[in-house]
Amino acid sequence: MADKLPSEFDVVVIGTGLPESIIAAACSRSGQSVLHVDSRSYYGGNWASFSFSGLLSWIKEYQEENNGEEWTAWQELILETEEGVALRKKDQTIQHVEVICYASQDSDEHVEEVGAVQKNPGSVTSASTNDPPDSMVTACSDTSELTTPLSEPEAAREVPDVDVTLGNENHGGDTDCSQSPLEQEKAGNLPVGEDVVDAPKKNRITYSQIVKEGRRFNIDLTSKLLYSRGLLIDLLIKSNVSRYAEFKNVTRILGYQEGNVLQVPCSRADVFNSKKLTMVEKRMLMKFLTFCLDYEQQPDEYKAYEECTFSEYLKTQKLTPNLQHFVLHSIAMTSEESTSTLDGLRETQNFLRCLGRYGNTPFLFPLYGQGELPQCFCRMCAVFGGTYCLSHAVQCLVVDKESGKCKAIIDHFGQRISAKYFIVEDSYLTEKTCSNVTYRQISRAVLITDQSVLKADSDQQISILTVPPVEPGSEAVRVVELCSSTMTCMKGTYLVHLTCPSSKKTAREDLESVVQKLFTPYAEAELENEELKKPNLLWALYFNMRDSSDISRECYNDLPSNVYVCCGPDGFLGNKNAVKQTGMYSCSMSSFWNSALPCAYKPTSGTTSSPKPSLILIFLLKFSQNTLDPSDTLLRNVFSRVLDLNSLSSATEMLWLFPPYLFSQGQHNSLHNRCLIKNC
Amino acid sequence: MAGGASGEPGPGAAAGIVVPETQEHLFKVLVIGELGVGKTSIIKRYVHQLFSQHYRATIGVDFALKVLNWDSKTLVRLQLWDIAGQERFGNMTRVYYKEAVGAFVVFDISRESTFEAVLKWKNDLDSKVQLANGIPIPTVLLANKCDQNKDNSHSPSQMDQFCKENGFTGWFETSAKDNINIDEAVRFLVENILANYKNFPNEDDVDKIKLDHTTLRAESKSQCC
Ligand SMILES: Cc1cc2nc3c(=O)[nH]c(=O)nc-3n(C[C@H](O)[C@H](O)[C@H](O)COP(=O)(O)OP(=O)(O)OC[C@H]3O[C@@H](n4cnc5c(N)ncnc54)[C@H](O)[C@@H]3O)c2cc1C
Ligand SMILES: Nc1nc2c(ncn2[C@@H]2O[C@H](COP(=O)(O)OP(=O)(O)O)[C@@H](O)[C@H]2O)c(=O)[nH]1
Ligand SMILES: [Mg+2]
Repeated sequence: MADKLPSEFDVVVIGTGLPESIIAAACSRSGQSVLHVDSRSYYGGNWASFSFSGLLSWIKEYQEENNGEEWTAWQELILETEEGVALRKKDQTIQHVEVICYASQDSDEHVEEVGAVQKNPGSVTSASTNDPPDSMVTACSDTSELTTPLSEPEAAREVPDVDVTLGNENHGGDTDCSQSPLEQEKAGNLPVGEDVVDAPKKNRITYSQIVKEGRRFNIDLTSKLLYSRGLLIDLLIKSNVSRYAEFKNVTRILGYQEGNVLQVPCSRADVFNSKKLTMVEKRMLMKFLTFCLDYEQQPDEYKAYEECTFSEYLKTQKLTPNLQHFVLHSIAMTSEESTSTLDGLRETQNFLRCLGRYGNTPFLFPLYGQGELPQCFCRMCAVFGGTYCLSHAVQCLVVDKESGKCKAIIDHFGQRISAKYFIVEDSYLTEKTCSNVTYRQISRAVLITDQSVLKADSDQQISILTVPPVEPGSEAVRVVELCSSTMTCMKGTYLVHLTCPSSKKTAREDLESVVQKLFTPYAEAELENEELKKPNLLWALYFNMRDSSDISRECYNDLPSNVYVCCGPDGFLGNKNAVKQTGMYSCSMSSFWNSALPCAYKPTSGTTSSPKPSLILIFLLKFSQNTLDPSDTLLRNVFSRVLDLNSLSSATEMLWLFPPYLFSQGQHNSLHNRCLIKNC
Repeated sequence: MAGGASGEPGPGAAAGIVVPETQEHLFKVLVIGELGVGKTSIIKRYVHQLFSQHYRATIGVDFALKVLNWDSKTLVRLQLWDIAGQERFGNMTRVYYKEAVGAFVVFDISRESTFEAVLKWKNDLDSKVQLANGIPIPTVLLANKCDQNKDNSHSPSQMDQFCKENGFTGWFETSAKDNINIDEAVRFLVENILANYKNFPNEDDVDKIKLDHTTLRAESKSQCC
């Protein structure tokens, strides 16, 4: 396992987030040799998902003042004709991490349920010797003070030994936590442990149960859904990467109005079955949605409102305020203030087109979490010969002074690895490279709760809820509630993801008011009976994540032409951004078309037919492998016929459809040889 | 994906009246171990009855499917998952491990170092995948290349002891080259998987969605250029 890496690849990919992984898979699949590294010990970067204990160690990582190991000075490893562009040692994309545990942290109540829930053959017995901690709430105002219960991941994993008594279990920092001088504002409002112990009998989930069942959790750092006709679904299917994943259809679209959570009817059947809508409203809604399906055909209906916002436009339609609210927030999922009529219509149409492909809502969620998807692409890359190294940091890019191109990387061992192309995720670039870049922030909350925000016949619901802005100027909050059959949380709990663009300082400031509207802090529940309908909060995590999407290439300083930057996750619901930029990688290769190529080869006007995809494929391969001879008729053939980048990017999509055995014998041999060398 | 019974009738209908004619199982089985011990060769031998001394590239080998008519009432679809070269630097994706119901850990009897790595692989496996009831998946140890000279002196009783101590269900001396014991080892593992299954049948989740080419093709025809 501790082999030395080969010192030459076609492509080096740094970062294992979704876009990087898609590119890695595409390159590997098309026969290029790929080295894919991540400085972290897990796949996915900010797209990762974690078990509960894994998440606790992730949290810990972000509070430790750890500057990484000493690196051998790369300055000594580069030649005079070269320049080094340093990469970042410590990730800076996560801030304001706060953890609040509402669940009881003593272990002496209803432990039998643990066995029942997990169907554990051995019975778990309770020793009930621990004094309950004084406070059940630990809240922390900033990362450096964070001392919530953090059990060692390994220790937590070992726990589920059948005859371990809960009373003897090691809960890591439980006691430290309640004793430490933490922000106690929340704790002050809450009853102390004894109240809960005396509380009426109910199957209450304790913190130790969550820890014990920690492996059942797959908690995503980034909360997204897949539009059932979106780019990512198409890509998964075309590339056959879909074989590694399974999905569930989101079962409900919810809306929030006047303090109540309601189900939004969106399919024809939903609309007609809805008890909330009057007959008149049903007709209005159906008429409007039917119009949206092909609004382009009836420009007269909206032309006059192109300059207005979508919400103003909705007011002019025959829709009750109720319906306007749902169309705006729950179907188009757009903002009241800034979305134009056209954008709103387009989003509504997109939503409607995605309906019914796999179920009653337009969205799919991957089992085991969104973090599964980058790994699926990585598996595909590995199957086609890609080399994977996690916990493998890169010190710098080596740039040739004369050509301005990147030649190699130097890794944390000081090994030089050369390649033709380099894909780097934004968070690996240093402040020096990014000094002109302004990043936005995403506010995130992850909650573990004990009930759904809207109870239904079945408790296995996957719901998306948009909570409109609380006050003018603040942002709508997207809530995704996952049930245990999504394989992201233990039975009897729900995993709730909240996401919005940051507007205040911290994620908690942005999101806590919404959390309080929807949920009851665990221990308060028994006191305020009228509040009982709301689900109880068991555990909450808040953090901010940097949004590096939509940054133009020119903003980065000194980027060599063969280095491509991938962005981290954006705040949107879908994955459009992640997939789109992977097409840009191949398009950037085409900047070569405009600059480096003799005019003779440039498209002549009047050429109409576009080249055969197979020709473009071969062209791209030869081009990327530097085996393209300028006198090759292929060049003339492809070139004279490619009219615009769109046909190029549709051609690069074809890369997925052609298995490597379509390549010429020569290419195939070199591919094969490379494998031989690799496996030696 | 793997692991569930997809036989007819469904769990609900099984309530006594109709006796199921055949039960179908899909089992995902992992084949792990150090580089060059013969994992890919074992899969190829078992599934395609092929062996090549020179075949070394793991390229394109993802998983191989073998259908077993287990008995008159049971059909087993076995998915053997190759490690796809990721063993070299040791970072497997969860995609590889998830929902596996059995595993082979392979070492090369002519290279003692590959035996020393066996426990590392077993521990890694147990930390990443468990059955629904929380116990480790049945795992069989394969001492491969038994057509060659041994590099160690583990007696069969020592091997038995080793398996007992380290949670292996059993062990076999195999050769992908001479086709020794491979069918037997697979039978043995499947027996154990089936026994587990009888004790803790997986609940089949009918709402899972698999995306595939057919859905796309059927639809894209209309909008093709
Ligand atoms: C330069 C070139 C290199 C190729 N390399 C490979 C390869 O490495 N591996 C592989 O599997 N397939 C290769 N092919 C074949 C390719 O994959 C397709 O099979 C082929 O281009 C499409 O054939 P067609 O009959 O559908 O199209 P056609 O309409 O017959 O051809 C499309 C265009 O390509 C031109 N063309 C066709 N054949 C050639 C040729 N040999 N040389 C120059 N121009 C030609 C034609 O004049 C026409 O303009 C290559 C094709 C060309 C043109
Ligand atoms: N003599 C002998 N060689 C084998 C046997 N199994 C595999 N090999 C050889 O060992 C090498 C590595 O095999 P491979 O299947 O690629 O190993 P993997 O890396 O574990 O997948 C190849 O050269 C095989 O031909 C066997 O049973 N006997
Ligand atoms: Mg192999």
